[in-house]
Amino acid sequence: MRKAFDWWWGIALAFSLLAAMRAFLPLPFVNEILIFSIYAIGCSFLLGRVGFISFGQPAYLAIGAYGTAFYLFYFGTNPYIGILAGLASGFIAALIVGPLFVRLRSDYFALVNLALAVIVFFLMQKVLAPITKGDNGLWFLTNMTSTPVLDITRPSQFFVFAFIVGLAIWAFYKYLDDTLFGACCLATKINEDKLQFLGYSNFSIRLAAFVIANTTTALAGSLYAVYIGAVSPEITSPARAADPVVVILLGGAGTLYGPIVGSIAYTGMKDVISKLIGNWEMIIGPLLVIIMLAGEKGIWGTLEPWLKTLLFRNKSVVPQKNSSIEGN
Amino acid sequence: MDTSLIVPGVIFGLSIGSIYFLMAIGLSLCFGLMRIISLDQLLYYSVGAYITYSVNLHTGSFWLGVLAAVAAGAAVSLAIERIVFRRIYERDLTFSMITSFGVLLGGVGIIKFFWGLVPRPVPVPISEQMSIFGTEIPIYRLIVILVAIAVYIAIWLFLNRTIIGKAIRAGIENVEHVEGLGINVARLFTITFLIAGTLSALAGALHAPLIMVDPHMGLEVLAFVFMVVIIGGLGSIKGTLISSIIVGQVVSLGSLIYAPLAQMAPFAIMLLILLVKPTGLFGSVLLKR
Repeated sequence: MRKAFDWWWGIALAFSLLAAMRAFLPLPFVNEILIFSIYAIGCSFLLGRVGFISFGQPAYLAIGAYGTAFYLFYFGTNPYIGILAGLASGFIAALIVGPLFVRLRSDYFALVNLALAVIVFFLMQKVLAPITKGDNGLWFLTNMTSTPVLDITRPSQFFVFAFIVGLAIWAFYKYLDDTLFGACCLATKINEDKLQFLGYSNFSIRLAAFVIANTTTALAGSLYAVYIGAVSPEITSPARAADPVVVILLGGAGTLYGPIVGSIAYTGMKDVISKLIGNWEMIIGPLLVIIMLAGEKGIWGTLEPWLKTLLFRNKSVVPQKNSSIEGN
Repeated sequence: MDTSLIVPGVIFGLSIGSIYFLMAIGLSLCFGLMRIISLDQLLYYSVGAYITYSVNLHTGSFWLGVLAAVAAGAAVSLAIERIVFRRIYERDLTFSMITSFGVLLGGVGIIKFFWGLVPRPVPVPISEQMSIFGTEIPIYRLIVILVAIAVYIAIWLFLNRTIIGKAIRAGIENVEHVEGLGINVARLFTITFLIAGTLSALAGALHAPLIMVDPHMGLEVLAFVFMVVIIGGLGSIKGTLISSIIVGQVVSLGSLIYAPLAQMAPFAIMLLILLVKPTGLFGSVLLKR
């Protein structure tokens, strides 16, 4: 019981915070934070645990979103099946490009992913324009039928759904950290030669991590599609390629809760900044530089040790076995 | 297909390839010597194009604009190097990539602030055509190709005939040894970064009359420039030249066959080459320092 509590307290705390935000903040804002944090955790896992930085996350986001959009626009009406379609297309796409990409060195990996994002953008904007309707995007808000138990076509119920999905994903990633697979991922980042000596294949571990992370990203894409009710090539525009990277660096790369903290900070900032000057790049760019120069620990990375001493001052003997595995 | 389509296609491809070459050579040199991926080269490219536009608008002289663009590119890249990159040469490769993306994004914001979102046209300075094999070719495109050839020769001479160039080449092999010989490596880094930024600005200035100048133009060529760098192999000048010719031709001839192919084909070629040789055509096997 005690152990289960230790395992859950962080996630429970983080998500009760999100639930509390629902009461105070406007609904679209909280929904966006939820989707964004799911979007960012895949990238965070790749960067912090496997040591791959991906500037191409928008590509996988778009693949998920378009998977959902194609289903809901052309074939069916059930948003849940739409989300499954997006998830499946993300999984397949990751499985196709994964074996090519994970063989690369991390610098080439980053560049190739960035190129992929741009290519998906072109693909959706121009090449597949007869199907994707080009820059106008696919609009299918009215195509979706309400579902019996949890009607995710309505924003308030969508929040509940996204909340449950987010909770499940965080539990999954926390579980991954505890398993042998999670340890292997960290090992490929730190010393791939040693891992090979131990009899593991770097390639298959990286491939599995790549597929898991990018399927998560595709899931975020399909959630986005269902929530907005429309998809346009804008979501994979190269100008937004850095979004998840900024979020996880803001929150703290490789930490479990970094993506949530980063999403809250980033979405909030973007909201406020675009209201004030409408030119968010001018702030986000220098901010990114400052975060990097200040030591790339991010908000959560700075907050976490401080929070831990505060919470566990009396129980300092309790070993914090999970959270001590830091990426950097 | 007859020659009346092929010849302009090849020339068009060579001119596009020249622009990519001018930009990719900076990225490649920066990677080779400093082990950084400098995404902000794309910012100097946009800055070059915008300065050319503004100078051309006010003085009416395009070539004066190119000169001003090159000067501006040098100044901006020097400032960025001093403020930002000075502090991150020692760090991981991905670190420089994220930081330079921040610089790029901030720069795009500043460009939007000054010039607005509207795409701006730059008139072609030489509208005359020249007849090659019976087809009319715009002279301006030939000039772009000639500039790229001149830059390649100049860079080759600089790297092989001058002492600083030789130091840079030695630094690409082993930077500690160069430092041990008493050469000021920090100055070497600054010079290389300056060359890269200047060439990117030149590329932007020369590209401006061929396209519309808009704040996101850097992000639009980004994919192609990276494909050039990846296919050629990071850190190799010869590889960059060859791959920029390949990518230029694929873009141009591909669009003759089927227009959307122009954007997809280089990517397919890149994937194929990476499948065979994960470090690109001429990439070194050097790992991170």
